[in-house]
Parts: sequence; structure tokens; C-alpha cells
Amino acid sequence: MSTEAIAVEKPKRNYNVLFGLTLLALLVLLWIVLSVATPSFASGNNLANLLRQGSMIAIMAVGQTFVIITGGIDLSVGAVVGFATVVVAMMINAGFPIWLAILVTLLVGVAIGMFHGFGIVKMGLPPFIITLATLTSLRGIGLLMTNGNSININSDTFTAFSRNSFIGIPNLFWMVILVGIPAYIFLHHSRWGRYLFSVGSNAEASRLSGVNVQRTIYMAYTLSGLCAAFVGVLLAARIGIGNPTQAEGWELQAIASSVIGGTSLFGAVGSVHGPLLGAFILATINNGANLLNVNSFWQRIITGALIIIIVYFDGLRRRGK
Amino acid sequence: MTSTAQDLHPAPVLEPGRTILELRGLEKRYPGTHALKPVNLAFKSGEIHAIVGENGAGKSTLIKLLTGVMPRTSGEVIWEGQPAALATPHEAMALGINAVHQEVVLCRHLTVAANMFLGEENSRFGILQQRAMVKEAQKIIDDLGFDLPAHVTLGDLTIGQQQLIAAARATVRGTKFLIFDEPTAYLTRKEADQLFTLIRRLKTEGVTIIYISHRMEEVFELADRVSVLRDGTLVGTRNIAETNDAELVKMMINRSIEQVYHKEHFTPGAAIIEARNLSGKGFENVSMTVRAGEIVGLYGLIGAGRSEFVTTLYGRHRKSAGQILWEGKPVQVNSEHDAIKLGMALAPESRRDQGLCLNLPVGLNLNLPIYKRISNNLLISSAQEKTQADRQIADLRIKTPTRGALASSLSGGNQQKIVIGKWLAHGAKLFIFDEPTVGVDVGTKAEIYRLFGALLSKGAGIILISSYLPEVYELADTLHVFRRGKLVASHGFRAASHEDVLTQALAEKQEKLGGQI
Repeated sequence: MSTEAIAVEKPKRNYNVLFGLTLLALLVLLWIVLSVATPSFASGNNLANLLRQGSMIAIMAVGQTFVIITGGIDLSVGAVVGFATVVVAMMINAGFPIWLAILVTLLVGVAIGMFHGFGIVKMGLPPFIITLATLTSLRGIGLLMTNGNSININSDTFTAFSRNSFIGIPNLFWMVILVGIPAYIFLHHSRWGRYLFSVGSNAEASRLSGVNVQRTIYMAYTLSGLCAAFVGVLLAARIGIGNPTQAEGWELQAIASSVIGGTSLFGAVGSVHGPLLGAFILATINNGANLLNVNSFWQRIITGALIIIIVYFDGLRRRGK
Repeated sequence: MTSTAQDLHPAPVLEPGRTILELRGLEKRYPGTHALKPVNLAFKSGEIHAIVGENGAGKSTLIKLLTGVMPRTSGEVIWEGQPAALATPHEAMALGINAVHQEVVLCRHLTVAANMFLGEENSRFGILQQRAMVKEAQKIIDDLGFDLPAHVTLGDLTIGQQQLIAAARATVRGTKFLIFDEPTAYLTRKEADQLFTLIRRLKTEGVTIIYISHRMEEVFELADRVSVLRDGTLVGTRNIAETNDAELVKMMINRSIEQVYHKEHFTPGAAIIEARNLSGKGFENVSMTVRAGEIVGLYGLIGAGRSEFVTTLYGRHRKSAGQILWEGKPVQVNSEHDAIKLGMALAPESRRDQGLCLNLPVGLNLNLPIYKRISNNLLISSAQEKTQADRQIADLRIKTPTRGALASSLSGGNQQKIVIGKWLAHGAKLFIFDEPTVGVDVGTKAEIYRLFGALLSKGAGIILISSYLPEVYELADTLHVFRRGKLVASHGFRAASHEDVLTQALAEKQEKLGGQI
């Protein structure tokens, strides 16, 4: 091991802020270009639609980011969303009050997250494996519960929520703010947030410093499960059905948003604003591609290319070149 | 087609004594540090040239420059009369410069043979000639007199054996200039002897050997010449016959023992922790007391049970028998959490693996144990976070641009100060330091010892584990010697001679080694 003096780097205190501003600039640039290129982009309807679309991925991406910061990954979130739509739909149709249906659904998300924590901490399974297993099993359980059918939700109050706006902004986007602000405070201003970073950086050193590493891991996956279940409730309200096959592939979009937002898959690097911006950048690209009549298959390719480009440039900057 | 061992092992017939590599004003600066001040030195072909110096003296930097791992800041390197850029490792290897590192940098999951030919595989029409390569590799290994199989997975060998393979690998690639960086750190005596045989043989073939080691006896056993580095400066070069231990040490350290080991004596107070007939994994029936204001030193070889004993005190491992008393009361320590709550603090041996969150800021590392205190259950007081971190940085004289700089950007010594310093604010009563000065330069060592004094003056007790005898000898008020899981002897401050302590620690080990040879 080298014990020589290692280069003393310039402090990167403003790095996060700078990166966030770059992402914001990219998002604004996309909006300007699309407003000019297509007349329909800047319409109120379309923008509201864009915000609704991006909101759900954004909330998932925040939970996902907590997990990735600890050096893990949560592949189950898409399946949790689908499963949550089934749970909330069944409960509402069974006549439970809406608040109870939502609460139970959220608790289901918490339970799934706890199970992931248990698998990782107590059974010693790699996060990739345990969450992959849940991904496939949850879809199966959901299909069993519904017999493979969709459940039409028979509550207008519930579904109306997702269509309505408050002071001109879609309710779903308000939910991003509702999640984002506590998430920001949690990650950057609470000791639990600090512990997420320290565990992701060096679990052993954290443990020796008195950090409860196991609890921290439980917490990260529980929050990710909670966020996903919450998105499931929102999705059920938006499409008015419960269907376990919904949100197929959303886990990858959530991870992509997180990574585009500057989260390092090696852990210990990440923020809350990054994944939020990342999710809306992705949503904008998809939305814009639709309006420009770009073959929807291209959207996937563009998303892939964007991940490579952004992560590459981020890596370059981190290495200080 | 299949190349023969002869092709792979072309004895570079070089005129002995001719200058093969010359450094002219070779210099390396990092932002903030002058790691290597202009060095002028000529290496002759067929010589074994030892380089010694304290950690941080610039040895690693020199190797990195010579092997093309890092670019130099200024100066020239003349290889066989021609200026060489040495900008990439590839270029260095093409010239015939190779290095065997202290830590084996080979692929653990591949076979010995595959490692030997890594990057120069023997293939026919794109198909690897696996069997031929294993045969070839076996021949080379046998030739060198190593009794090792070529077809096994490298990871199945001991670290020492892997080291020998790494050395063998370096010799088969037209190497003219071979650097060994502390090669014997993990070797048994027998393996070390095999390595020395290999080195001497390479010398007769005209290969220039750079031999870096902390072990003076090896330097005197092997080397023709020795160069001493100190704080990035080449202090001097001596013919081995014209120098001795004492001169080299003086050149290396340039200060007296007393200046480094600054020892403050305090009157010991009440007992902080007491182990009564404690047994556990790796040690048995150990009793000792640590009182306020004293340093208890634990000396012994690696594997003697010292680390196991303290990690059991610290709640990492369960004790199998005996009792732990904290301030006179029997306690159960079932986890690190319990230990920290009682008031213990452990600065672990491996700062990179266990001590630091390298890719996080210095401030966060310093505050990690005390976030509970500087937050009101949920939210962290950022003002307190800042003042705490800044005060620590000032108190410990940590050389960092700001508290926001990443821990990885600091030098080894400054990193170690964080590992130790983060416990100061925590207000622990018992500090356990496991090899606190490994890989730390003399100046930082002195500062760390000064910190010990500060802790003691506040009424804390210290358990100091070290494999470096002078350290525990000069600092410990009570020195316990461990051998094979047992506490075999205890001494007061400087009460026994170095030789006695060594004998007590080694006794059985020497017999064992004797049997091996």
C-alpha cells in the first residue's frame, strides 16, 4: 500500500450544486428546444401530462437512491408498484375507506423493504439477488391474487385525485414535493442520512465507529419499498385499475434516473435533487420523442445513450480531468 | 509456436558494473507535497541495490516513477545511455523494467500458469495452448527451485507462495531491471530463502535488482550498495561493506529515539477496565487491568492473540470464559455498540479497510462517532458539525485544505490522525490503538504519541498494540507480551531489555521456524 503523500485534491464542496445546475440547465434546454420544435409541447395539457409521467419515476428514484448510496440496488421497485396497485384496488373495492387502503398498501411496501433488509443482513444474500427474487415473485403473487385480470377501481374520489391540480400544478407533482423535501432533509441533514453515506463508503469503519450498519441497511430498503408502494397508489389512481403487470421495467427507469442524477453505483455518492432532475429529463425525452413522432423504440436507445454519456462525463469530472 | 523456456528466459548478458539506469534530478511534486526532491543516482547492471527509508520517505514514489505508473514532475531518466520518458507501465516493461510489489497484483482466480503468461499467452490459431503453458510454467518454476504446482488456482496458494510466483513471472519477460518492494513481508523464512536464491541468480545473469526493505538484516545479507531516502531526499549511498546498522538508521531517521517517543508519565488512577481470566477465540486465560492515565502495551507476533483479545474486549467476538469489569463492575459486552456506549474506542489496524470512509469528506469521518451528540435525535446541527470538525482538524494538525476534502486525498499519516482523532471528541475513557503507526512517517508518529499524552492527561487509559518493539517499549507503562494466545510476561516501563521481550515473544516461533528450515 502506498504510504507516500497522496495528491491533495482541491475540495469539491460545490460539486453537487454544480452538477445539479448542469442537470437543470440540460432540462431547461430540452424544454426550450422542444417548445420551438413542436407547437404542442408547451401546451398546458402536455406539460401537466409530462409532470404526471415524470413524478412517479421521480419518487421511485429517490427511494432507489437511498439504496444505491449504501452500495446496494433495489430491482424490485417496479414489481412493488404493480403489486401495490393490486392491493390498493382490492381494498378499495372491498369497501375499506381510502385512507386505510392507502395506509395498508404503504405498510406492504415497508414490509417488502424489511424483507429485503432481512435477506441482505441476516441471510447474507447479495442485494441484486434478493431484490431480483422479489421482482419475479411479487408479479407472480399479484397474478395469483387477481387471476391475471385487471381490477377496475370503483371509487371516483380516489381516481380523481390524480387528474386534479392544485394552484395549476398537477397533484402528482405535488407528491414529488411532498416526498422530496423530507427526503432531502433526511439524506443531508439527519444522522441517518450520514450513516447511509458512511455505510456505502466503508461499512466496517462505520461499524467500528458505532454506526448500526444493519439498521441502516434495513432503513434504506424499507424507504425504497415505501416509495415504490406510494408510487403504486398514485399509479392506481392515475389509471384507475389494479394490475400486477403494471410498471414493467420501471425499476430500470428509476435506476437510470438516479444514475443520471449523479448517484454512484459504487455507493456513497448521491443526492435527492439529482434523481428528481434525472427522472424529469427522462420523462421529457420520452414525451418529446412522442411529439416529434420518433419511433418509440428509439426512446429506449436514447435513454441508454444518455446514461452512458452522462455517467462518462460525470466520471471524468470526478477524476478531475 | 510453443516458445521454449529459453526464449522466455533470455539471460540478458550485460557487462557487469556498467551504468544501466541513471536518474538526473528526478523529482515528483504533488499539490501540497514534495514527495521526491531532485534525486541523482546511477544503478549499475548486475548489482543489488537496496533502498531504505522510513514510510513516507519517497520509496514508493520512486518506484512509481521508474515503473511508469506516474509521470515525473521534472528531471531525466537515462536508460542504457538514452533518455527514457517512462510515461506508461507498458513503456517501462518494454525496456525491461519490472516490479514485484509487496501486495501480489495477479489474478487470484486464474491458474499459476495463466498468471505467468498473462498478456503473452501461447496460442495457436487463436486457441490457447493450455497444456503447453502449464508445462512451460512448471519448467520455469522447477528451474527456479520453487516447489510449487503450475496448474492450481493462484488463490489456493499462500500469500508467500503467490509472491514467489510474482517474482518468477517478472523474471521471464526479458527483465533487466527488477524492483522488489518489501517482498518478504508475508514470506516464511524458507520462502524468503528461496527468493534470495532467485535474486542472487538474477544478479549473476546481469539483472539489476532494486531491493526495498525495512529489514536491515536482509539489506546486509543481499545488497551490494544501499541508498537512504528521508523525507523525499536522497541522503546518501553506501557500499554495504563500508556501513553498518547504526549509520543507516541515523541516516534514515535523523533524530534521536527520545525525540520521537515523547513519553509523559502520569500517576495512574482508578481501574477503567479489567479482564479476569478472559478466554476467547485465539487467546486464553488473559488477565490485565488498564487504569486511568496509563498506557498498557501489548507486544507479540502477528497471530499471537493480541488483536483477538482486544476485539473481544470491544465486543466483536464473544468471550468463551472469564469476566470483563468496567470501572469495577462486571459488564457484558456483546457488540461494538455496547463497547462504545461504555466508553471504549478502537482505532483499528487497517485504516483503509476498517478505519475510514475514504470517499467521504474529512469532516464527516471525524464526526462519525458523535453524530448522535451533535444532532437532536433527527436533525444534525450543521453549525456544531462544522465547529467540531474544524476544531479537530486544528487540534490534530491534520493537513487538509478544508473539512470538505475527501479522506482519500490525504496522506497516510494524516488519514491515521483522523482514525485516531475522531475518538477524541467522543470522550471515550479507554482507547485501543491497534498498530497506530503502521505506514506513518516519523513526524506524524511523534504527533500521534503526543496525542496519547493528551488523552492520558484527561484521565483516559490506553491499550497500545504494536508489532514494533521500540514503540511499545518506549511508551507503555505496563508491557504485556503475548505468545500463541497466552499472556506470557508482563513488565513495567522499560523494566526488561529488548532482548528479553523479544525472546519471550518469539520462543516457540523460533523453534517452529527452525523445524521448517
